[in-house]
Amino acid sequence: MNNKPSHCPSADMLVEFAAGTLDTAESICVSAHLHFCPHCRGTLHRLEQIGSHFMEKNCEAVSPRPTQTSVLENQETLLESVMAKIDAAGIDEPAQTTSPKGQFPPLVNKLIAATYEKLNWRRLSKSVDVAGLKTGQNKFEVALHRICAGGKTPKHDHRGLEYTVVLKGSFSDEKSVYKEGDFLLRQPGDTHQPMGAQNGECICLSAQSAPIKLQSFFGSMLNSWLRIRPS
Amino acid sequence: MMHIPLKQVKLSTQMSEAISEVGSSTRRSDQWSQLLTDVGINRSKESFAKLFKHYAPLIKSFAQSSKHEGWFPGLNEDLVQEVMIKVWQKASGFNPEKASATTWIYTVARNCRIDMLRRKSNTQHLPLENEDYWHEPDEETPASLFQQKRSESKLQVSLSKLPKEQNEILRKVYLEGKSHAETSAELGLPLGTVKSRVRLALQKMQILVPSEYQENDYNE
Repeated sequence: MNNKPSHCPSADMLVEFAAGTLDTAESICVSAHLHFCPHCRGTLHRLEQIGSHFMEKNCEAVSPRPTQTSVLENQETLLESVMAKIDAAGIDEPAQTTSPKGQFPPLVNKLIAATYEKLNWRRLSKSVDVAGLKTGQNKFEVALHRICAGGKTPKHDHRGLEYTVVLKGSFSDEKSVYKEGDFLLRQPGDTHQPMGAQNGECICLSAQSAPIKLQSFFGSMLNSWLRIRPS
Repeated sequence: MMHIPLKQVKLSTQMSEAISEVGSSTRRSDQWSQLLTDVGINRSKESFAKLFKHYAPLIKSFAQSSKHEGWFPGLNEDLVQEVMIKVWQKASGFNPEKASATTWIYTVARNCRIDMLRRKSNTQHLPLENEDYWHEPDEETPASLFQQKRSESKLQVSLSKLPKEQNEILRKVYLEGKSHAETSAELGLPLGTVKSRVRLALQKMQILVPSEYQENDYNE
């Protein structure tokens, strides 16, 4: 038994991530998973090699190495301009990477810091709290969900896509147990009833493209009030 | 200043390793990795100029192939400048054990290209820069998972042998910046076909370690 995540994004999602064509909200979820998953990080590095190959081959095919004097002169000018910018005050220092401190992957910490001074939890049900995150896109609602220890969430279906990455603790549903770093995708028709682990609260990052659909009779009356709030 | 000679010793070991590699493409790419390492450790402007001459045309053609909405030719040279400035600033973070210089510079170019697009199309404040998505955790990824040295040249060979229809899709995704959905719309193919061609290509290139399939439940 190891601590590595066992539920990972699909290979073609990693391809889109490596090529930089994945949506912002989906990229946030993949990135949070990569923080926990050395396996996918290895795959990602190999997928990035494909990109570098295309960059190299494309240059040979589209524009052969510059030999014309005008092209070379232009390149010389460009180099001079870059050197001038580098020589300009301050830029010579190696870039510092500062990431806000926190308990989650750096990207999530940064999102939290950009959204609130403190997380603003609101009650969703008896055992689930939610805190929305601002991500600057409008396709998905990105949020943190917190399930209390042993908490039962309402049984629900999905009207759109729902990505979940476990950031802390674990939860389970009818199919499996999901622990730190696990990446899940739920689609319309996937009904489940997540339950928090007994030994502590569980915090998940989630991205939803449409509100969930509650299954119970009482819940079904509430469905028309459920909204997602992308930000 | 004591640490610099030590790093130089390490650098020269890498050089001799690089020379012992077989295959001209490996040797060629290692030359760039050495120059980039030199920029990172010694802040050598001479090495940087050599890198610039090699990579500026590559970055420019990468920019030219962009089919993103809102991309226009005037941005091509901006991208070259922005990427090369980042290369100078971030060179100390380059680790030749993990990636070749070309792969590393590709990732910088990819990130800069998306950031330039996002800045253009967004008026609201964006909390994240593209670099944030590729933050490597402190815990080192085991070197065995990179298999960098041998795999890069092997990958080049297997990529060049891919069937045309698989190659075309990867080209659209990596160079033109198309998502799988956009690719499927453009080629008039079902999304499932695009995804399965991508997966077939990855299997042919042995990019997915087979054991991953057994151990992990991939979300499809």
